[in-house]
Amino acid sequence: MPADHFLAMSLYALLTAGFFALLWRSGRRERWRYFFFVLLTMLVGAIAAGWVMYPVPLHP
Amino acid sequence: MSRAEAAAPPVRSRGNLFVALLLAWLFPGLGHAYLGKRGTAVLYAVIVTAAFLLGLGYHGKLYVHEPEHPLTVLATFACYGAGLLNIGARLLLDNTGGNVLSPTFEYGCAFILTAGMMNLLLMLDAYDIFTGAKS
Repeated sequence: MPADHFLAMSLYALLTAGFFALLWRSGRRERWRYFFFVLLTMLVGAIAAGWVMYPVPLHP
Repeated sequence: MSRAEAAAPPVRSRGNLFVALLLAWLFPGLGHAYLGKRGTAVLYAVIVTAAFLLGLGYHGKLYVHEPEHPLTVLATFACYGAGLLNIGARLLLDNTGGNVLSPTFEYGCAFILTAGMMNLLLMLDAYDIFTGAKS
């Protein structure tokens, strides 16, 4: 498996978004909308959190 | 939802609740297939199995309870939530402890634990479908 953090994070977001869209929503349209909402929230949220933590030193 | 629908008693599924829950735990989606939800059952099986296998591919750990680390009991519970996937992996793999030195070790553990928790949620969902709380 490639040690690509963004790929791993994206796969994780893809699977969990698909799972919860199926579990918590009914109807094709509702599920797709929820899937994209969760997927984008996780991806953008993770990138934003990484950006906020960027100034924090790795080894203080 | 109309007042008549809200007042109507929930419709119970046919079949046996214990069997539905056992199948739901054994393999992702099997409980839903038993309850007649074949389409979503296949998707659940694909998603949860993919998450578990990715976890193994990313060198994640199949936890066992370590008394010196009490929180490992929660991780062990989550791993065993994956049913036969977890048991099969423990039987087939030589190294179930993952590879701590791998840069993807934490991802692997997250994938495996999430797969187990997803399957436990599917058991609860099967229970809701059986009792009529969810259509």
